[in-house]
Amino acid sequence: MQKLSTAQIKQLHDHLIRQGASDALLYELLDHLICEVEHYMWIGLPFEAALDKVLLEASHTAVHYLNQTYQTAMDADAMRGATLDDIVFEFRNKYYGAYDLRQSYRLSLLNALLLGIGAFLMLVVWVAAFNQRSFSYLSPLGLLWLVGVSCVGVAVGSWFLHNLRQRYMEIS
Amino acid sequence: MEPSANEFLRGTLKTIVLKLLAEQGRMYGYEITQAVKERTRGQITLTFGALYPVLHKLEQEGLLVTESQEVEGRLRKYYSLTPGGSQVAVQKVSDFEQFMEAMRILLLPPPSLAPGM
Repeated sequence: MQKLSTAQIKQLHDHLIRQGASDALLYELLDHLICEVEHYMWIGLPFEAALDKVLLEASHTAVHYLNQTYQTAMDADAMRGATLDDIVFEFRNKYYGAYDLRQSYRLSLLNALLLGIGAFLMLVVWVAAFNQRSFSYLSPLGLLWLVGVSCVGVAVGSWFLHNLRQRYMEIS
Repeated sequence: MEPSANEFLRGTLKTIVLKLLAEQGRMYGYEITQAVKERTRGQITLTFGALYPVLHKLEQEGLLVTESQEVEGRLRKYYSLTPGGSQVAVQKVSDFEQFMEAMRILLLPPPSLAPGM
């Protein structure tokens, strides 16, 4: 019996994600659809025709209905450790993007704040130094400049580390 | 035929699933749809939209347990009966047989209901 390639499986996987299959449902339904496509290919259909036939059945309505029947509320243990994001996204697709955005919201806010303060201080010092025509690291202006630079440095560094970590998580 | 067949199926789906699992021990969703199709020679085809809600409900009721296993590089969820599930399976099948017997009697031509004829 012919097996689907990884790219073909990914096509089915992406379709299910687009139709909004929840985590609980996704892998079971994916396995089911792969089996069906392989069956149709085995009786002689080309991949595209088999895929169309199967996807017709796995419509948004069907997946949505299944999602609802698969919903089970969190038990007490999970509830105790749950954040607001976990509760809001309990029955929603976490891989769509909004969950990640919310998860990193505090960090993004802090980075933006540091970057803003740092850039502002640097601008102020630069303008003041330009007017006085003199600049020394040991003056109050120099101190402000150093604070500004370090704020920007910390913000950029933390943003870079966060991105690096995310990319690493996607690969593994 | 099709719509009413679906209507009959809805009430018996639990019995079918329990009966199949009692015989086979451990099955995954697609395997169940294929088993039903083969045994009825294509007369009954289960869609996943009908099957998985039933499997999930039975699991919630504690009649089935699931285990995930990696097959051919992807996760496959196998269902099997709990001890309680086995009892319910026996009960359901015998209930259904009684029901079918009653239906058979009901569908027979009435013996001598009309004295005037």
